[in-house]
Amino acid sequence: MADPILELDKVTVRRGMGVVLQDFSLHIKSGECVILHGKNGAGKSTILETAARLLPMESGAVSHHGSLVCDGQGRRLNPNSPFGLTLQSNCLVASQTVDQHLANVMALCAKSIDLKPILSAFKIANRRNDKIAHLSGGQQRKVAVIAGLIPAMVESQPRLVLLDEPDSGLDDSAIEVLIQSIHELRNIGHCFMIATHDSRLFECGTSLNDLSSEKTQEITNSDRWTVESKPNPVSLLKTKIGWKYNSTTLVSIQRNWLAALLVMGGLLSIVDPLTLSDETMILMGFTLAPAFTVGLVGDAVFKILSEQRSIDWWRAQHNLVPNSYLESFISGIILTGISSQIFIQSVDYRIIAIGGLIALATTACVRFLQLSTIRLARSNAVFIRLLTPILILPWSLMVDYCAKL
Amino acid sequence: MRGKSGDMYLLAGFSGLMITLYLAFNWAPSVDINAFQSPEAQRIFYWHVPAAWAAFIAFTVLFIGSALWFFKRSPLGWKLHIAGSEAGLACGLMAVWSGCVWGAAEWGTPWDWEDFRLNTFGLLTLLALFLVLGRKSQPDGVESRDTFSTFGLYGFVLVPITYIATRIWVIRHPGPVIAGDENSSISGDMALVLMIGALSFTVLIIGHIMTSIEITKFEQRIDRLQKELDGE
Repeated sequence: MADPILELDKVTVRRGMGVVLQDFSLHIKSGECVILHGKNGAGKSTILETAARLLPMESGAVSHHGSLVCDGQGRRLNPNSPFGLTLQSNCLVASQTVDQHLANVMALCAKSIDLKPILSAFKIANRRNDKIAHLSGGQQRKVAVIAGLIPAMVESQPRLVLLDEPDSGLDDSAIEVLIQSIHELRNIGHCFMIATHDSRLFECGTSLNDLSSEKTQEITNSDRWTVESKPNPVSLLKTKIGWKYNSTTLVSIQRNWLAALLVMGGLLSIVDPLTLSDETMILMGFTLAPAFTVGLVGDAVFKILSEQRSIDWWRAQHNLVPNSYLESFISGIILTGISSQIFIQSVDYRIIAIGGLIALATTACVRFLQLSTIRLARSNAVFIRLLTPILILPWSLMVDYCAKL
Repeated sequence: MRGKSGDMYLLAGFSGLMITLYLAFNWAPSVDINAFQSPEAQRIFYWHVPAAWAAFIAFTVLFIGSALWFFKRSPLGWKLHIAGSEAGLACGLMAVWSGCVWGAAEWGTPWDWEDFRLNTFGLLTLLALFLVLGRKSQPDGVESRDTFSTFGLYGFVLVPITYIATRIWVIRHPGPVIAGDENSSISGDMALVLMIGALSFTVLIIGHIMTSIEITKFEQRIDRLQKELDGE
C-alpha cells in the first residue's frame, strides 16, 4: 500500500480563543484528492494552513512524504519536497510581473517549464510581462492558482498540492481549466487537498470531507498531465530572490537609503565637521550613524513580503524566507564610505567594513523582532520597534572601538 | 471581595508613598555635601530605589505569568502577565523618570549610555511598554498571548543581568546600598525611610496586581457576553 503523501496525526489547533481542530487526523495518498467542504468557521482553512506548516499546534504532527514537518512540540522542519500552495490570500508581490512570480516558484522547485500553455489556458498569456499590481482581482487569483499548481506540473514524482478556495474570484472558464488540470495532475500521482464551497470542484475529489464525515467517490476522467520540465537548480535562492525583489522595487533605496541620507543631511545641517576635528568619538558616531539607520529601518524585503501574505507562502515552503542581508551589507559599506569622507575626511577600509557589518547585524536584529510577531492578527500595529533601543548600546561600543582605531 | 482587597492594598500603598515623600523631604537626614554634587537632589533616592525594587517584583510576576501561560495555558498565568506588565511599566517609568531627574542634577546628564545597568533597566521598561501597548493593539487570542508571553519570558533574562550589573559594572550609577559590598551602608534614619518606601511600593504593587486581575476578569466576561449576543 502506498505511503501517505500528507499525514495529519491527531492534530489539535487553537485559533483566537477557541479550539478549531481537536485530535484531527487525515491521510492523503498519491493520486487522491480530498475536498474539504462545510460551513464557514468549520476549520477548512485551519486544516490546510496546518498542513502547510503555517499554524502552531497544541498537539499532533504533520508529515509530508513520510517526514515530519511540524508537530505540537514546536518542531518545524523544512519539507523534503516543495509543495503547491494557494491560500485564500493570493500571496503575490504587487511590483513583480506575472512571469517573475512564477519563475520564483519554479526556482523553488529547481525545475522550469514553458508557462505559455498554462497561461493561455487561463487566458492571461498576454499579461505575463505585466506587473501583478496592474492585474484585476480575478487575474491575480489566476496567477495565485497557477503558482499553486506549478510544483506538481514540473514534477513526475508525487507532490502535494494544497488549495484554499481556489475558485474564489475565478470565472467559469478558468474554473473549468482548473478542474481539468487537477484531474490531469492527480492522474499522474500528485495528491490534492482543496477547501472549497464550489460544488463544481467536488467532481475532482476522490473523497469529500465535511470535517465530520468522509465520502469517497469514483472519478472517470483519466486524462494525464505531460511533464516537460527541465532542471533549473538555483543556489542561494533566498538571497537571490531577495535581491530580485529589491532591484525590481528599489524598496531599499526608498526606505533604508532615504532614512540614512536624511540622517546624514540632518547631522550636516547642524554641525560643521571641520570644527569638531578633535572630537573623534562624535565624528565616528556621525560616520557610523547612517549604517545604523539602514538597519533600524528594517529588512526591506520583509516589508514587501508583508503584502498579501506572501511571507506566509515562503514560510510554508522553507524556514528561511527571502531577505535583504546582502543589500544591507552593501548599503552599509557605501553609506559609511560616503559619511567617512564627509565627517572624518579619510577612507579607512576597516571602518567601512564595520559599517557594512553594523548595517547587516542591525537589519538581522530588527528582522528577528518583526518575525517574532508574525502570528499576530495585526502585526503591523504592534509596537515592536520599542525594543530596538537595545541596539544602541552595541552600536555605541562599535563607535568607541572605531574611534580608537 | 477580592476587588475590595486590591483597593485596600492600593490605598495603603499610596498612603505609605505619601508618608515616604513627606519623610524624605522633611525628616530624612541630609547627606554629606562633599560626597554629592547636588546633596538635596539625593532625596529622590527614597522614591527612586523603592520604585526600582517594585519594578523588579512586577517583572518577576510578569515572568511567572508568562511561563504559566506559555507552558500550561493557564488563564491565571495570562492575568498575571497582564498585571505584571502594567505594574512593571508603571514602576519602571517611575524609576527611570526619577533617575533621570536625579542624574541631571547629580551627574549633569540624565542618562549614561555606557552604564550597563541603566540600559538593561531601561530596556526592561521599554519591554513592558511594548507588552502593554502591543496587547491593546491586538484581538485577544492564543496567537497574541503566545507571542507576548514569549517576550515576557525572554525579557526576564534582563532582570538578573541588571542585578549583577549593580555589583560588577559600577561606573557612574552607584552600587547597592543594602547587601552590597563593604562600602555599601546607610545611616539608621535613612534606612528607615527607605524601608518605609520599599514597603509602601511593595504594598502598592500587590494592590495593583490584584486590581488588574479583577479588571482583566471583567474584560473577559464582557467579551464572553458580547460573543453570546453575537450568537457565537
